[in-house]
Amino acid sequence: MPHPTHWKGKELPNVLRRLFDVPGGHTLEVARKHGAYETIGAALFDKSQFELIELVKDSGLRGRGGAGFPTGMKWSFVPRNTGKPVYLVINADEGEPGTFKDRLCMTRDPHLLIEGMIIAGYALGVRTAYIYVRGEMLPQIQALNRALTEAYAAGLLGENIQGSSYSLDIYVHRGAGAYICGEETGLINSLEGFKGQPRLKPPFPAISGAFAAPTVVNNVETIMAVPYILKNGAKAYGQWGTAKSPGSKLFSVSGDVKKPGVYEVPLAMPYMEFFELCGGLDGELLGCIPGGSSAPVLNAEETRKATMDYESLASLKSMLGSGAVTPFNTTRDPVLILESVARFYAHESCGQCTPCREGTGYVDRVLRNVVSGGGRTGDIDLIKDLADSYEWTTICAFAPGAAWPVQSFVTKFRSYFEAYISKNPEHSESRPLVAMRPGAFW
Amino acid sequence: MADMITINVDGKDVQCPPKVQLIEALRRNAEIDTPAFCYHPDLKVAGNCRICLVEVEGPRGFALAISCHMQTSPGMKVKTHQSSEKIVKLRKGVMEFLLVNHPLDCPICDKAGECTLQEHYMGQGRHESRLDDAVGKVYKGGVDFRFQDTKGEVRGGKRIDLGETIVLDQERCIICTRCVRFMDDVAKSPQLDIAGRGDHAYLTTFPGKPLKHDYDLCTTDVCPVGALTGKHFRFQQRVWFLKSVESIDPSDSFGANLAIEYHNNRVWRLMPRRNPDVNKSWIANATRLLYQDLNKNRLSDAQLGDKDVTIEMAITAAAGALSAAKKVALVASGHLTVEDNAALVHLARTLGARAEIFGGSWLAVGKPDGIARSGDPVANRKGVQMLGIPESLDTLAQRAGEFDCLMTMGHDLWGADAAKAAPLESIPVRIALSPWNTATTKAATISIGIRAWAEVRGTMVNAAGRIQVMHACPVVPNSDLEAAWLVVSRLAKSQGAATAWATEGEAFRYAGTLARELAGVTYRAIGPMGLSTVAPAVAPVPVKAGV
Repeated sequence: MPHPTHWKGKELPNVLRRLFDVPGGHTLEVARKHGAYETIGAALFDKSQFELIELVKDSGLRGRGGAGFPTGMKWSFVPRNTGKPVYLVINADEGEPGTFKDRLCMTRDPHLLIEGMIIAGYALGVRTAYIYVRGEMLPQIQALNRALTEAYAAGLLGENIQGSSYSLDIYVHRGAGAYICGEETGLINSLEGFKGQPRLKPPFPAISGAFAAPTVVNNVETIMAVPYILKNGAKAYGQWGTAKSPGSKLFSVSGDVKKPGVYEVPLAMPYMEFFELCGGLDGELLGCIPGGSSAPVLNAEETRKATMDYESLASLKSMLGSGAVTPFNTTRDPVLILESVARFYAHESCGQCTPCREGTGYVDRVLRNVVSGGGRTGDIDLIKDLADSYEWTTICAFAPGAAWPVQSFVTKFRSYFEAYISKNPEHSESRPLVAMRPGAFW
Repeated sequence: MADMITINVDGKDVQCPPKVQLIEALRRNAEIDTPAFCYHPDLKVAGNCRICLVEVEGPRGFALAISCHMQTSPGMKVKTHQSSEKIVKLRKGVMEFLLVNHPLDCPICDKAGECTLQEHYMGQGRHESRLDDAVGKVYKGGVDFRFQDTKGEVRGGKRIDLGETIVLDQERCIICTRCVRFMDDVAKSPQLDIAGRGDHAYLTTFPGKPLKHDYDLCTTDVCPVGALTGKHFRFQQRVWFLKSVESIDPSDSFGANLAIEYHNNRVWRLMPRRNPDVNKSWIANATRLLYQDLNKNRLSDAQLGDKDVTIEMAITAAAGALSAAKKVALVASGHLTVEDNAALVHLARTLGARAEIFGGSWLAVGKPDGIARSGDPVANRKGVQMLGIPESLDTLAQRAGEFDCLMTMGHDLWGADAAKAAPLESIPVRIALSPWNTATTKAATISIGIRAWAEVRGTMVNAAGRIQVMHACPVVPNSDLEAAWLVVSRLAKSQGAATAWATEGEAFRYAGTLARELAGVTYRAIGPMGLSTVAPAVAPVPVKAGV
């Protein structure tokens, strides 16, 4: 189904979705007809690195992977003249449940990513860049490799790009499909060939990342917005959104809407209006996960007031995250949603830090027990308390991401959990503690 | 120290060194007991156990930080469990998580009594268990958790044979990765790793490969729980019965610091004693197992020829032989202490022109392994050199015909090189002082049992010129046994010295008159960590082969 071009009489932003509906848009020939690589030339090479970083800073572009860190600021942290190479790593390990925007970008418009990488690479003084792609995304890897071959053949990559003095090589690195490898230091470890476990910070990747050299890790969508900014200026990008959340963003919509899919809309669009764009809600709204499974869930009332930008969701103690929107209607069971989310996090915890390793599994087992009818009074408080214990006590942001859905679901949909527990005839009795088990000494 | 900085801990100013791990400053300078499982002062920081959490003031107010990764800086403000309820709660949380999949089998666990988890639970955990059968554990020790790896080896569960020396209890492991980091960064032989992820992660070796390294028993030291236990000590003795004596590795000139642990008139194990300037926290397996020789094949009495006699009778016989001798060869030994060798010098001076003293060893010198062994088996070579004793053993063999009495002390010359020692058999009277029955005591005409290294107090100087004290463990095979210095000083008295020494202190003071480096040094000044006899600016001189 083609992406809508207009909404309520206004044109929808066309920064990232340019070639989504163009047949053969992934080939260099077609992409060039639609303006690909127009910036790779005087428009780029006449600018200084400083000017480019200032441009991205001015545009207010924020990381689209989930954390929303200002991209220009991230670039400006990279130290100069350390004697070490600077690496650019594209995070294409799209793993947040509900998110499926980057995979579409990489199949439909890989050249826009490459163009963005050349710009970012030039701005940061990068000689070698990597695209770390989730292992399961085979069509995306094929599309990227094909596009890279074309770009090399056209002199857009390799030595002296388009006759300039700038050279860049891009490698596609295939991951093995772990959620934690989307965390930037976990990704760097995996890229280096180590186990995908996040690193202790400091040092931050901007100082010592891949191969102990300064490294910038950016999401696919973030880098794909850069060519537009260079071509049209920071002001043009700021025509959408708010002062703190300018620009457009891809949203992956699944759940109870009539037309799920990937949509590019301006930031700060109200969620309810967005659902209309997606063909309207299916059934009566119960709640909505606004930004991927780790974003705290919103109930119906909160969803009605929320707009799709960083500040609005922060004020509701949730987050825009990766832009995976999952509204659910009253026929859905929040307990089962949380059980499934909790199992995901228990499965994906890298096992490094104690609270996350043991806590996510513990919560998963308690929830499974509640769902299977063995819940007891106090289980709701128990999992909330466990989630509080691992929320901020670990190396990376996985644990808070695993804690937020637990905390928000049990707070906002508590009655559903209580209903499960009250069905257990023994729910008010306390459980026997583990004292006896076969083989134990006493 | 002049370069101390001030940090604020729980509202109190504390002086501490700059740029050290905050946990060290908290423990040493602020004297706040800060728990840690993954942090080890001699390993790289991993920061995964999260129990050492504190609050540190940053640009946005107090934020959580792990004190093992954070470094001290001037003006730093820290809140620990003493002033922050949040830290108390979070640490309890971490402790609860650690115990989720850790069995409460302390009564049958070898580590009980020296288990970090047990200690910190008593200190800072102390919660009512919320675990129950239905939701609690993964039961890593259970049979269901066993599986075969790609090489057909059984993994998982309890009692896993990791290699020649170590048994792994998977259920007790808390995935702190200390052992992994030891093998990676200290042993430089990556053989262990954590496989899997989440709460089903487990410690393992590579498929089909046993854990095998000269230092692999150090992983049992760093293991904060009873997951890794050494086969040599497993189920031998409860650790809370053990009493400990500080000593030094007598088998290598690196001078690794160790503790002799004994109970019930038996030495049960040797443990590394942390000394950041010498062996850090490591000792080689070979050193660790030395205690097994302490009650094996001992020369616990004396012999005249083939006849067993008392030590007193043998000393009298030796005194007589010395008096009768025209020319005596005395062989000093780097296997024994400075005191013992000082006594030998004393004897030589008493005998005057009738005696000549020889030093050195015929044992092969290996290469340093970079951890806690220099490769030179003569532990006190430097100390003997300091006393002015030449390395002249080969000359002795050439000039054997000049002597009619030979006295060796602590050496096994025949055992080291029987061919080189053969000419010495032409010397008619051969006195051997030795803790063990050796080829040399067999070749001797008078052999006198002496106390072994663990049973004496004395000093040794390691290859880097550091003088260190070993203390006497009261466990001896025969209480009649005397230290070598005492036997020798009694022999000196029999040859006309004014008195026999009563304490090793006297022997050490005498050593001070012989060696410039030892003059005025006392046991107290040396202390438990040793004293460098080399000026600090000078790098340790490596021992050359065959010196």
